[in-house]
Amino acid sequence: MPLKLDLLGQRITEMVQASAAEDRGRWVERARQLLDSVGPEQLRAKLEERVVRLPWLVGIPDGGVNGAFEVQECPSSFSVVAADGSYIAPDRHSPFRFYVLNTGYAVLTYGRQPSAVLDSSAQLYFQEQDLYLDPLVRSAPVEGARLSAKMCLAEMRALLEAAERVEGRPLVALRDGSLITWGLQTEDPAFVQERFLTEFLTYLERFDALGIPLVSYISYPGARDVVNSLRVWLCTQGDMDCARCPSADVEQFCRALREIRDRELFGFLQDGERSDVFGSKSAILNRYGLHRIHFFYMNVGGEVVRLEAPQWVTGDSQTLRLVQALIYDQARRSAIHPPYPPALQEAHEEAFISGSDRRLVQLLVERSLAERGFVYSGSAKSGSKRRRGV
Amino acid sequence: MRIGEIVESTSTHFVAESLDLGRPPELGRLVKVHLAEDRDLCAVVCHGETGSLDPGRRAVRRSTEEVYDDQVYREHPQLEHVLRTQFTSLAVGVIDKEVVHQGLPSQPPPLHYSVHGCDEEETTRFTQDLYYFRLLLGVPVRIPVELVLAGHLRWVYRGRGHDEEWLQVAAREVAKLLKQDYERLATVLYAIERDT
Repeated sequence: MPLKLDLLGQRITEMVQASAAEDRGRWVERARQLLDSVGPEQLRAKLEERVVRLPWLVGIPDGGVNGAFEVQECPSSFSVVAADGSYIAPDRHSPFRFYVLNTGYAVLTYGRQPSAVLDSSAQLYFQEQDLYLDPLVRSAPVEGARLSAKMCLAEMRALLEAAERVEGRPLVALRDGSLITWGLQTEDPAFVQERFLTEFLTYLERFDALGIPLVSYISYPGARDVVNSLRVWLCTQGDMDCARCPSADVEQFCRALREIRDRELFGFLQDGERSDVFGSKSAILNRYGLHRIHFFYMNVGGEVVRLEAPQWVTGDSQTLRLVQALIYDQARRSAIHPPYPPALQEAHEEAFISGSDRRLVQLLVERSLAERGFVYSGSAKSGSKRRRGV
Repeated sequence: MRIGEIVESTSTHFVAESLDLGRPPELGRLVKVHLAEDRDLCAVVCHGETGSLDPGRRAVRRSTEEVYDDQVYREHPQLEHVLRTQFTSLAVGVIDKEVVHQGLPSQPPPLHYSVHGCDEEETTRFTQDLYYFRLLLGVPVRIPVELVLAGHLRWVYRGRGHDEEWLQVAAREVAKLLKQDYERLATVLYAIERDT
């Protein structure tokens, strides 16, 4: 039955009114003024010397905080490699428990000899050790955050393998989404450490050894790390007890900052410019060792995006300039506005599993069963969704 | 010479994906599909188009003040992989052991078989008899069929080494077939006279 939109209309209006406060622009402007007034050394010290654990993620400045760095010229020839993934999750209504990971990649080479390689690879997992983190007792099934982690590893593997086949340099490797695997923080440490992070860090090491900068691209980022750092800068208390804030003025500004995202704060960046680099304080990064993730923001021409990279990328000014130039060049070549890197778009297109392909996989499973004399008609619930008779 | 691969096949026509992006065979060109030893299906190209490989992704403008035409493809190398050129050909006969049988084939050609261009000798052999003009004029296609026929006459004329005699016979055959439809006849005759 059609959704009763009349029941939602009023609530939508209320929701929009609540978030689009008229004085939001004024608070963003005040936040930028605060950013300009911050002493980076003092902020770094204040953030790192805190003994009380902060309730939010903060960004620790590597250098300055309010810089705007112009984009440099691109090399005459270069390549960009990108990978993405898509999966078919285990279906409770299927006769078998399995999942499919599909990875797609794109290698785009520009300059004297332009070329493109686009491809994908699919893998079906059905064995006990694939389906459960503890197959003996069938506990911790691979789904949700654990399946996303498996997908992340498959994408990294695809990205590395594609990058290894590229002979030309310079080359930058791009991923969509974050390199900070915070989704695993609540998972069993043994899994995180032994099964996921070990392999994940192996890929980062390999990129480092090959001298290929690895960067993740986050469009429309929701992060507030730098804004949160400003809240710490504002705070006059030692234990961040917001309920007992002694200053009404600070409290009001701090509350307003809570609603502002980093992408708005760095809205002052001009076309092609990037911000200063910040280090993330996410707890999972303590396990990253030499590959700790840092980030910066960049105006790619129509959008301020967040770029994350291991410290061996952001710590080298020449590499950082190259990354900025190539990301901006990708944005310039985008066919859509706001721009999105064509390499990532094509990798996504390669990885995408359509609804008809999903149904086809299920059909292949059922057909294979039928060839062995088993007729599976599906669960009554899934059948009721497929055959919606009246 | 392979020029395409069949991706859609019917009793009257087949659609092939061109091996060369943006360059389908000329309108009216004679092509063939090798069905078996000494047996080729002949067809006339009646339509060509280039577009997105994925029907859900439409081609969008990519040119700028500085980058346009073929430079667009140099600046966006992925386009070679996400666009495709297709052409449609009308089946007009079979050459079986060097004997020409004009008419629709008994079966559509198999999917994924290669499409080749006909060489001068094959073109000359197939176009000796003009019965197949009836087939061309009788099958509904996406562009006016008289324009396809005009394109075919031009192409065969050149393919047969600017054979004036053949062209005159062909023009008379077209006049006979379209004697009831002066406008369509005039379209064909005007087109071949202007270009040949």
